[in-house]
Amino acid sequence: MKTNERNLVMSDAASRLRRLAAFFSKGFLFLVAAASLVAVLLIIVYIARDAIPFFKLRGLKELFAGTAWFPSGNPPEFGALAIFIGSGLVTLGAILVAVPLGIAAAIALSDILPYRLRQAVKPVIEILAALPSVAYGFFALVIFAPLLQNHGGSLLSLAAWLIFLPLGLLIAFAVSEIATRSIRADVAPAARWLLAATLAAVLVRGLAALSAILKNVAVSSGTNAFNVSIILGIMALPTIVSVAEDSLQAAGRELREGSYALGATRAESLFRVIIPAAGSGIIAAVILGVMRAIGETMVVWMASGNAAQVPQPWFNFLSPVRTLTATIAGDMGEADQVLGSERYHVLFALALCLLLISFFANLASEWILRRQARRLGGLK
Amino acid sequence: MKLRSRRLLDRSLTGVSVMAIVLMSLSLLVLLGPIFSRGAAAFLFRATSEFRRFNLEQFNRGDSRRIAAESRAVAEARQPLYGMLAAFTAELEDMDPARRRELRQQFKEVRDLLRELLGPLPGEMDAVMLRQQYGQTRWDRARVTLQRILFSEQWDYSDPSRMGRKVLVPRRQAFAGTQLEPLFPHLQQNLKSMLQPRFTFYWRFLSDRSLDSHFFGGIWPEILGTFYLTLGAMLLAIPFGVIAAIYLSEFAAAGRLVSLLRVCISTLAGVPSIVFGLFGLAFFINTLHLSHSKSVLAGSATLALLILPTIIRAAEEALKSVPHAYKEAALSLGASPLRMVLTVLLPAALPGILTGVIISMGRAAGETAPIIFTAAVSVGRPLKLWETLNQPTPALPWNIYNLATEHQAVDQIRHVQFGMVLTLVLLVLLLNLAAIVIRARISRKMRG
Amino acid sequence: MIQPTLANIRAAAEPATADYGGRQAHVACDRFSFFYGDNQAVRNVTLDFPSFQVTAIIGPSGCGKSTLLRSINRMNDLIPGGRTGGRLVFDGQDVYGPRLDVVTLRRRIGMVFQKPNPFPKSIFNNVAYGRRLHDGPAKGRLQEIVEASLQRAGLWDEVKDRLDDNALSLSGGQQQRLCIARALAVDPEVLLMDEPTSALDPRATARIEDLIAELRGRYTIIIVTHNMQQAARVSDLTAFLYEGDLIEYGATAQMFTKPRQKRTEDYMTGRFG
Ligand SMILES: Nc1ncnc2c1ncn2[C@@H]1O[C@H](COP(=O)(O)OP(=O)(O)OP(=O)(O)O)[C@@H](O)[C@H]1O
Ligand SMILES: [Mg+2]
Repeated sequence: MKTNERNLVMSDAASRLRRLAAFFSKGFLFLVAAASLVAVLLIIVYIARDAIPFFKLRGLKELFAGTAWFPSGNPPEFGALAIFIGSGLVTLGAILVAVPLGIAAAIALSDILPYRLRQAVKPVIEILAALPSVAYGFFALVIFAPLLQNHGGSLLSLAAWLIFLPLGLLIAFAVSEIATRSIRADVAPAARWLLAATLAAVLVRGLAALSAILKNVAVSSGTNAFNVSIILGIMALPTIVSVAEDSLQAAGRELREGSYALGATRAESLFRVIIPAAGSGIIAAVILGVMRAIGETMVVWMASGNAAQVPQPWFNFLSPVRTLTATIAGDMGEADQVLGSERYHVLFALALCLLLISFFANLASEWILRRQARRLGGLK
Repeated sequence: MKLRSRRLLDRSLTGVSVMAIVLMSLSLLVLLGPIFSRGAAAFLFRATSEFRRFNLEQFNRGDSRRIAAESRAVAEARQPLYGMLAAFTAELEDMDPARRRELRQQFKEVRDLLRELLGPLPGEMDAVMLRQQYGQTRWDRARVTLQRILFSEQWDYSDPSRMGRKVLVPRRQAFAGTQLEPLFPHLQQNLKSMLQPRFTFYWRFLSDRSLDSHFFGGIWPEILGTFYLTLGAMLLAIPFGVIAAIYLSEFAAAGRLVSLLRVCISTLAGVPSIVFGLFGLAFFINTLHLSHSKSVLAGSATLALLILPTIIRAAEEALKSVPHAYKEAALSLGASPLRMVLTVLLPAALPGILTGVIISMGRAAGETAPIIFTAAVSVGRPLKLWETLNQPTPALPWNIYNLATEHQAVDQIRHVQFGMVLTLVLLVLLLNLAAIVIRARISRKMRG
Repeated sequence: MIQPTLANIRAAAEPATADYGGRQAHVACDRFSFFYGDNQAVRNVTLDFPSFQVTAIIGPSGCGKSTLLRSINRMNDLIPGGRTGGRLVFDGQDVYGPRLDVVTLRRRIGMVFQKPNPFPKSIFNNVAYGRRLHDGPAKGRLQEIVEASLQRAGLWDEVKDRLDDNALSLSGGQQQRLCIARALAVDPEVLLMDEPTSALDPRATARIEDLIAELRGRYTIIIVTHNMQQAARVSDLTAFLYEGDLIEYGATAQMFTKPRQKRTEDYMTGRFG
């Protein structure tokens, strides 16, 4: 061997051995890395395998168009329309809560708060993301639901004031600004103030009337779509905030400086340059947040009321609803697990729907984020 | 547009976004506030003499002589009360039948409530259920029961246009003029000496088994179950996750296959947790027969799948942030790539990987949906290590759900539920805190 | 049809700007300092940037050139822990005065950055951006202004047929000229340029330098550069900064032929920096 030490060319055997070892070690690494691919395939296969018998037995129409959900009836009925609507309703509610709040918070984190404060707010987001869903569900059931049931009207009217007063005042000012634009300069300020004051007064009157109506709303049960929507909205917040903030940051300092240097205000820079540039990332953030809401089980199981009925009217957030996830979680206990029956398979059919929704939403967000990275990458 | 209105818009944006941050932080406070304050009451509360008697008799805990002395004092304090009960029982016999019928029912209610408050009344047979052998162990619960003794709830339907209203009627009124009437003020004034409430720090709430389905005792089986499940999930997921991350960050050439892998990882991350649960049932239990039915092993395997993407991503991030110079230095010294990974890359990336691992540990500990069908049961004893292969277990997240929704006396064991939630939340928060600390360390090291 | 040159648009829009011709200093620093936390990046600098002249700021890397330049239109406002000392005067008004309006200030002082940073919008919208902010949606004249600005920036002929294309599809040099056009479109009086050619190839650099020569006399231009030849070619005056201090300031021709300070000479001949 000693003579070989200065020789850079390995012997044939040694080289083959080395290559073989490299090949096998790399192959091994690849096989392990492919575990997630295998897992995804297995999940799809196994969920579908137990879902298909249901479709074979009962077809598609009943599940997606029927509203009678009596899996343990005789004969059983599997109309899951109300369940799909329930899932849709709480997701819509969660979007209404989380999207405006999340995007505004992301803007604050990326552009408005000073650095120190930003660092202080980050842990808040991390904690919100880390709290177990059963803790959220417990809160919704044990604390929020009784509150809603006993003081629902007052809570609603308080929320109406909190949301609509600032928004309405803003709109009042904007409208009066625009309306008085073409008026002579010497009377314009007076006219503007007059108009703004009138509008504000109208707004306050309107809100007072609204809150009087809301105060009398009787919440018959605190476990309802409204409750769940708010909690799901809060749960979706961290995802939306962090992904949206990332993409706002990714728009870069150069763009911001370019806009500021032209005399744009911060709001103008954000709305005309930064948000359009980061737009697709924000959409992806919303998709991911929505997925969190659709896929959540414990909160809806505990606090949505679990009534498989179509709310009347459909947007009645105060009625109890039932969702896909809660149905799966709740009915599996009663379904015959081992032998397999329609009751067992229908839950897999619902799970398959859930899986497909999440699958496509995920692909969409992935595609959007990747496209944005490429586009912003081209910028630099 | 006028400059003034442009500024107004700018300010309102600032206002709105700051308001969003404030709302977000507030919602966290509102969420954690009750969990912490009421959860703490599971550990720190005013325990009554019944609590100490229970601990002595069931767990053989405490100074038996002092507790015996206390029992005597308590019995003495209760004596007049029991006397009144006996006197009224006798009085009841002599009443005219109509009044007797009316009062007997009410008297039974009072006796039941007193039994709930103070434990078995004198001369009664030993009850079977543990909860009937002891009175209220907690002063806060005792106060609630006291209220129910003093006032009976009735519904007022006099206004037909509205829903019925709850009104509280003093029970004393019903017994006016009888021997039982003085019982109510007497009980109210002397309850303290009958139960001797004392501040107690019950840390063994964490390590006691539960007795009589959580009416007494602690949450040890749940904690242990969560520990097993989390540990199992980590043991299964960490090797796969870290190796996959090494492959992706060091050995994978960019190509179709790798981007397919990445898509799969993010798909896996997006699968709803309940679907994981169903999959675990269909695959690990019904197909692979890891165990006959639910078991910790099956639950751990399901949880491992759930946290795999998190670990891969965190580990890949950590591996990528190791400076190129390190790797090149190792390679230039003649180390093979695999050796470089083991001796240079992994140690350098370890803190970052650890952060990801810790965070996913919190996730695994708190997830409920995946273990519903694969591992969790409502009532169970602490498992031995080998039993985890084929036995199901109680676990914190599942039992929080179960106790809050399906328990027969949901309202009476609120403190246990809150205590469990607090334990789980604290566990997750501590794990996250550890991750934050490690991350801060890393960034400090990178800077200086 | 009246040819819409920038000069007559400006004359129509804001007749007052013509007055600056007679005034000496358009931007003036009076013992001006800038601190990043405790680090004083600009130290007690006193100098005047006269109207309608090109002033070059040179100096070794890290000496505070960019900091000084960005102080003039208050781009440094966003830096946490940043603060100023002394006075900086623009058009007779204290730039760091309590009631100064940053938006108007930046509108009147344009800036071109080291790396071209067009917005991810169409070429037209890039140039129209600032104008739209300040005037609101006044459609009719926008077309003229965009064309005039692009012409002034020497880009019109290259892009006139593709105004709706994304600005990111332009070459680096074109992008930089687009940024100049974008700045010119809001009709500034001062143009700040921070190493505008350092990311460009020699040909694109030459185009920008020609452009600066054309703009001289209409705008007060302050340009930071690492390129001595460039400073000599384009500027009327040169300021030499060293570790935050102003070492020497004077006519470019004189600075480059017989500098008064030893350090200036050392730097120019490449002995350090
Ligand atoms: N955002 C900042 N925060 C803290 N210090 C900074 C910041 N920007 C610059 N500095 C410091 O201020 C000093 C001057 O920086 P400046 O960018 O003005 O130099 P420069 O002359 O433009 O250099 P170059 O020629 O490399 O662009 C440097 O010491 C730098 O480290
Ligand atoms: Mg610089």
